[in-house]
Amino acid sequence: MKKGKRLLLIFVIMAKIGLFTFGGGWSIIAQMQNEFVDRRGWMTEEQLVDYMSLAKSFPGVMIINMSVFCGYAMEGPVGAFFAAVGLSLPALAAIAVVTYFYSSLRGNIYVAKILNGIRSVVVPIIISACLRLRKTAIRGKLAWWVLVASFLACVLTGLNKALIVLAGLVAGLLLGKGESSDDLS
Amino acid sequence: MIYLRLFLSFMKIGFCSFGGMTMIPVINDEVLKYGWMTSAEVMDIVAVAEMTPGSLGINCATFVGLRTAGLSGALCASFGVMMPSLTLSMAAAHFILRLKGNRLLEKAMEGVRPASMGMLVATAVTLGISTFIGEGGVSWNLALISLIAGAALIKGKLSIPKTILIAGALGLILG
Repeated sequence: MKKGKRLLLIFVIMAKIGLFTFGGGWSIIAQMQNEFVDRRGWMTEEQLVDYMSLAKSFPGVMIINMSVFCGYAMEGPVGAFFAAVGLSLPALAAIAVVTYFYSSLRGNIYVAKILNGIRSVVVPIIISACLRLRKTAIRGKLAWWVLVASFLACVLTGLNKALIVLAGLVAGLLLGKGESSDDLS
Repeated sequence: MIYLRLFLSFMKIGFCSFGGMTMIPVINDEVLKYGWMTSAEVMDIVAVAEMTPGSLGINCATFVGLRTAGLSGALCASFGVMMPSLTLSMAAAHFILRLKGNRLLEKAMEGVRPASMGMLVATAVTLGISTFIGEGGVSWNLALISLIAGAALIKGKLSIPKTILIAGALGLILG
């Protein structure tokens, strides 16, 4: 595929993803997995999981970081830029509309009902991402221990996510096997 | 120059926060300092951000920019808040691609990948609790929507945009 066409596609797909990202942004993982890994094969599942941890560890907006990492992996710096701008565009349009009609939307019961419905589905969307990525992320005993520790740290403490990722990194360096994904049973 | 001011303020907000609700106090300080908005209007930001798709950070930047300096203001503020991603993450993306296949990196990632899965599972749990358990106990109607739409997504392999539309429609009936 030509570079220009792929750039345009990245932009359009990211705009579509941006339009359907509600509730904190983690649902973007499932959408990217669907569009870039499953459908088009432009990224691997490993990359997606790696970037997820990096995106959360770097300052700034997590989903913009995520789009920069993924865009860069697919089409270099220009791809990263297109991905980030594409993702943000629907938000810009939506905010402009909502701001304009804010006073009438705020008290509207039907708007509240629709938003309640959308909010309810964010959890299953995140669960679907967990289910799809589990084989890539969890290989061997060490991985299970790290996962449980990270889960508990997130739920029970207000620890900075970057520190949790760093702890996982140290655990991997000390105890990991360093085998490439292919020769693991 | 309001545009430059917006850009710099939101760049600062971006670098000082890790997204989500952690941005609110920093945003609060900045917009009050320049008299762009009142405290009550800052609270409106959260409501508007929840009504619209996209992350809180971009939505806040757009909202404040739009209120203070129109569409150009919204663009300046949005690019400001995107700056950490376009600099730090961009550089990191470059290096991680060059290190691909490196044995030490592979080892490190064996710990990093499950750690980020742990965060994802934790997000599902905490978000689930805050969504389905309100002040008046469990919201069974929302749990039902989640179950129906979730089954369509996971078992029925429905796409995410379609699932969201269905959830919105179910919300109109049951919410």
